[in-house]
Amino acid sequence: MKFALWYNKNYKKLLILSVILILASIIYLITFSIQNDSIIHKDVSLTGGVAYTIETNYSINELNQKLAEKYPDFSTQSISDGSGNQIQIIVTVQEEDSEKIQEVLEEILEIKLTEDNSSIESTSSNISEDFFKQLIISIILAFFWMAAVVFLIFAKGHKIKLIVIFINILLAIYLGNFFLSINSIVSFLILGLFTIGLAYIYIKNSIPSVAVILSAFADITLTLAVVNLLGMKISTAGIVAFLMLIGYSVDTDILLTTRVLNKKNTLNKEMFGALKTGLTMSATTIIAVSTALIIVIPFASVLNQIFTILLIGLGFDLFSTWITNASILKWHIEKTK
Amino acid sequence: MKLKITFKIGMLITLVILSIFSLFLDNYGLTFLQDGVIISSIESTSQLYQDGLRQDMHITKINNIEIKNLEDYQEAIKPFYELKENQTIRTEIKVRQLKESIIGLYGTELINDLRINNIPSSKLKTGLDLRGGARAFIEIKGEYNENDVNDVISVLEERLNAYGLTDLRIYKIQTSGQEILIGIEIAGSTPEQLESLIEEQGFFEAKIANKTVFIGGDQDITHVARTGEQAIVYNCRDSQEESYCDFQFQITLSTNAADKFAEITKDLPTIDNCNPVNQGCYLTEEIVFYIDGINTSSLKIAGSLKGRAETTISITGSESGQTQQDAAENTRSEMKRLQTILITGSLPQELEIVKIDRISPNLSENFTKQILKAGLFAIIAITIFTFLRYRKIKTSLALVTVSFSELLMILGIAALINWNLDLPSIAGIIAAIGTGIDSQIIIMDESRNKEESLKEQIKKALFIITTAFATTLVALLPLTGALGFLGIGATSAGLLKGFAITTLIGITIGVLISRPAFADIVKQLEE
Repeated sequence: MKFALWYNKNYKKLLILSVILILASIIYLITFSIQNDSIIHKDVSLTGGVAYTIETNYSINELNQKLAEKYPDFSTQSISDGSGNQIQIIVTVQEEDSEKIQEVLEEILEIKLTEDNSSIESTSSNISEDFFKQLIISIILAFFWMAAVVFLIFAKGHKIKLIVIFINILLAIYLGNFFLSINSIVSFLILGLFTIGLAYIYIKNSIPSVAVILSAFADITLTLAVVNLLGMKISTAGIVAFLMLIGYSVDTDILLTTRVLNKKNTLNKEMFGALKTGLTMSATTIIAVSTALIIVIPFASVLNQIFTILLIGLGFDLFSTWITNASILKWHIEKTK
Repeated sequence: MKLKITFKIGMLITLVILSIFSLFLDNYGLTFLQDGVIISSIESTSQLYQDGLRQDMHITKINNIEIKNLEDYQEAIKPFYELKENQTIRTEIKVRQLKESIIGLYGTELINDLRINNIPSSKLKTGLDLRGGARAFIEIKGEYNENDVNDVISVLEERLNAYGLTDLRIYKIQTSGQEILIGIEIAGSTPEQLESLIEEQGFFEAKIANKTVFIGGDQDITHVARTGEQAIVYNCRDSQEESYCDFQFQITLSTNAADKFAEITKDLPTIDNCNPVNQGCYLTEEIVFYIDGINTSSLKIAGSLKGRAETTISITGSESGQTQQDAAENTRSEMKRLQTILITGSLPQELEIVKIDRISPNLSENFTKQILKAGLFAIIAITIFTFLRYRKIKTSLALVTVSFSELLMILGIAALINWNLDLPSIAGIIAAIGTGIDSQIIIMDESRNKEESLKEQIKKALFIITTAFATTLVALLPLTGALGFLGIGATSAGLLKGFAITTLIGITIGVLISRPAFADIVKQLEE
């Protein structure tokens, strides 16, 4: 049991690694937000504008050159089938350029754009701003409520649980009616107050819950940082992937925590048992998602984005569950022994 | 070893069978065994409609040609492509839903007024992004209340129906700014002028000498002819660069409007003071048609109509196109647009389209097949992996079988509640099945642990699973739109609701039905 000995000695050092990674990604995301005025690269469904998906084998470089003469701001993307032949081009322009774009494209490509050869997605910037705001609110609330459920399950004491439920309902009312409708700095300040209050209650009453919540948080921040680094443009559906991630990442954490808190064996043995199950779970999901991704990738649909984000997230989940969560839990158990 | 069917396992089996019924069984037997083609839409003005043909009916035979699929149908209607505008053929159409065949003289309406598809192999409905169509979100400009929104919706619905778009869904969505948006989804191919149909306020006015004679809507116009001799496209001709066609259709005015016509024309002089009863003698003023304040066309008024309470009026116009065929098509759709506006009147409020997506049916067709393939391969990959991991063929097979029945149950429920499966819904199904497999692995691993009683182990496993279920449930709640009363997630939910709904259906079935059943199976396999 060499590994067990090594682990007993070094698990706190592993925790430093997680702290560094989480802090680094938070700092990166903050600088990213300041530079780009948003926490993600948004695609046309979230910025507003028009996107044409056209079935064509026209050279994308030539199209870029010709479009550059007319539009200051546009983007194109080439979609290929399995054997590398281009089958589609996606052209996106800003809302204010949207009126003439069809004619311009028809002129360049020398085809008439009909519903047989093209799809169009057009969104005004007002409504996409609203979509984005609502999705962000949904994600924040999803995360807080997930955290509350974890606390309700692993903590003890009826009174404190009622308080947590009450605060979370207040939070929902605040998010739905006031958040980002009032001044955005004040908005985040109030959200910060909720966070600090709840975090204080959670830390004081149930360290294992905090470990689970922190691990889910780490998973999402790290994934978001990598998604931004890759330059992925997130669509409304891409945000769904982050919601799926909240669900998936918590599963293994709950498994680990339940095993450890009801332990019949030594701590390490229970943790190792949980690890084996958890790895099998992650492996099946990763295998299934990557198999599906390989097959749907030529179709440039929202599924590509969902699957890619999930894969990145599942990878980080291994780290955040088995390093971050496990180390905090072990520390807590050893301390309270 | 023989598997004992416990109550929980029995429950699973029963629900799977019910799901298969819900997916494939209708009044005419199993859907995938039915021959014929289905009418995906039919113009409500068509002669065929008046003779009893409706949307969703199955055509099985036309003039002695048995129709098994779309190819047969194309073959059967070939003769109709060679017909000229007013020619007809005596046609017998056999319809599965009707006892007696429809027999009549039909011409090009068999091509123009029907949209035909293969009969779907299951009762599952796919969403716009998988079968093509258009979706629009519409904002009402200016001040409005709940009633105004309902008025707008009913006019829009009437207008789109009058245009011939029947397969549509209109709903309200609330933005976080407490505004109400109207969502419209139209399946299948959509007309070019969809935007003008929706956005155009369509205030129609007919004026003589700047005095209003009548306006659009059923107050002033009692009937708009749309078929037969009273509504025609004619006089198609080539000009220097383009081709042109004319259209003409009759409308019937209410007596009120007709009296107004008489009143206004009574004192109008004729051109060059010609005798009003003479042929070719017209009044000095024309009748001018405006749509939303813009002059669209005008007509000379025959002298003989002077001062008469005329109830029948002809509306004319013309359109151009590259070829004569194009011109005829454009003219026909322009005539249809005008007829639609005249029938339904104007929208009570000015509208603006804030989001419009058109998804090509061609681009999406292949994709559905690919998704099925992706699912199949994912299942095969998981089976192989779990077998390698557990080295127990029975357990691995049980895991895959239970996951597969879970898929059937989700789809069965989707078919039952008429849910349109779009891409986010499919992502949701994948999430649910994935969570399901994870939960089953927990059960399998816990039950292999021999230090506690099997019962204890499985109890612990089910606790973990229920906890995980609860966290996913609350995480998805904001997206369902169920928290709309708190102002959360209603607009965005319009687009992503499918994801939340299918995941919720899936994980709920999982935690209530398939997990307990799987635990029972594993208990028997381990004992």
